[in-house]
Amino acid sequence: MIYAPSDLWLRVPARPENVAVVRQALTGICEALAAEAKVVADVKLAVTEACTNVVVHAYGEDAKAPSIEVEAHPGVDGLSVVVRDHGRGILPRAESKGLGLGLPLIAALTRNVEIRRASEELGGTEVVMAFALDETAIEWNEGGG
Amino acid sequence: MNTQQIVVDRTEAGVSVVVVHGEHDVYTAPSLREQLTALVEDGSPVVVDLTPATFIDSSILGVLLGGLRRAREHESGFALVIGDASEPTVRRIFEVTGLFPVFPVFPSREEAERVALANGSE
Repeated sequence: MIYAPSDLWLRVPARPENVAVVRQALTGICEALAAEAKVVADVKLAVTEACTNVVVHAYGEDAKAPSIEVEAHPGVDGLSVVVRDHGRGILPRAESKGLGLGLPLIAALTRNVEIRRASEELGGTEVVMAFALDETAIEWNEGGG
Repeated sequence: MNTQQIVVDRTEAGVSVVVVHGEHDVYTAPSLREQLTALVEDGSPVVVDLTPATFIDSSILGVLLGGLRRAREHESGFALVIGDASEPTVRRIFEVTGLFPVFPVFPSREEAERVALANGSE
């Protein structure tokens, strides 16, 4: 029998060093759910990209206590992960740094993704990602590049 | 050993080999960028060995792309090593983003060093 872990709720300061903290927590959940190793790898990457977007884009420099909120909800057919901020949102901007690969990567690695306003009251954005536990959203190329 | 270590070796032929160990993301990207920038601007051919890396994200891809671009501007060699022993997860981000063909990628450090020394022209 596989033990089903409780839902995860995590809030950490939106700082670069904390992206790994979230990644490790999600890895633990996936392993407890006996997810395929390739699924675990894709969850780690997608969640990392979502958290990085929060750290890099969501808050202005004058934000008070910027945070990343993460929820993980294991279900019978997969895992739902929500990455939320209460900043100015993570939608792409003209002055954005980086490659702009974060959201396309998330879209490629998830079975479904929804990006929406986190709260009418607090603002911010939430990225809701759905993963199957037994297969990845796109096939792995075993042969490599 | 620090699980996020970045080690720079210099070969006798003058190639700088940046060996990336462990997990790397937005937290370590500035350090890798700084090291690659310094090496390229110093005129050294650069090889980045990702074989001991266990995780990289798009922040690191961005740093590698920046290193490649800067090396081309300096007409200097730049190559990556993703060996057979590399974590499949490292290979994965190159595949999903379609960026494998953009980089000179070699399975062994020796090949990468040879190409970087020849200005990455192969």
